[in-house]
Amino acid sequence: MLNYNPPINEAKNYSELKISEIEPITKINLRGKNRDFITKIGKELSIIPPSDPNTSSGNEKLNILWLSPDEWLVYSNDKIYLNERNALLEKLFDEISKVQLGSVTDVSDHWVMINLKGTKVFELLSSGCPFNFNNFKNSKGAVTQTLLNHIDVIIHNKNINDLNIFVRRSFCEHLWRWLNDSARFT
Amino acid sequence: MFLINCPYCGERDQSEFSAGGEAHIIRPKQPTELSDDQWAEYLFMRKNIKGVQFERWNHAHGCRKWFNMVRDTSNDKIHAVYKMGEKPPIK
Repeated sequence: MLNYNPPINEAKNYSELKISEIEPITKINLRGKNRDFITKIGKELSIIPPSDPNTSSGNEKLNILWLSPDEWLVYSNDKIYLNERNALLEKLFDEISKVQLGSVTDVSDHWVMINLKGTKVFELLSSGCPFNFNNFKNSKGAVTQTLLNHIDVIIHNKNINDLNIFVRRSFCEHLWRWLNDSARFT
Repeated sequence: MFLINCPYCGERDQSEFSAGGEAHIIRPKQPTELSDDQWAEYLFMRKNIKGVQFERWNHAHGCRKWFNMVRDTSNDKIHAVYKMGEKPPIK
């Protein structure tokens, strides 16, 4: 089950920029198409998965990110969910996967979450990313999947100048080094 | 570098996508009844024209969905983008 070994476990400060790894985080991947699946998720988590592309929904404890028309990522670093992580996962698994409404996969160890804070975050990202952040930076809760220095990432615009970046565990060290290297020049 | 309008995510850079070859090629209903030449025709032979071509693309580094595109291969002008299973909006 969850490997609570954070791969980076560091926080770095630059001028108007802070980069840190946030761990541990519960992450669950949800896939499903029909309306029953959506209502069931809404009932279990008290949040309806967003149907609009590149958006997210959430409360203080949980966030649901839109990944594709039939795929969502749920993440939380709430202590209750961390302690009851298996309870949450098992509950969703029993209610959705077992009755073949959709699929529920624990991806906590698959994705590593890096938090970027500060007024220079978009300047840093733009140095290695083909995505146009003009509208993204002003819309709270926006989500995008794109390439950052040729690495697949999911970017969640949590707040103004406060981003969460999800990167695959095997690429996280590489991305971490690139972020820190680039941060020196922003 | 050019921009592609993914039917699910919106406008993104071409580097996020991967090309999947010619679109609207129908798999023969009875492959066992075909001669080797006919099978090879279905499997390998593509038009590869200079001009307007119907293609499949995949938003590999985004939503990972397949879709169709009408693209002019000579100048990369995209005439239309439409979802899988839909009819081409232009002929």
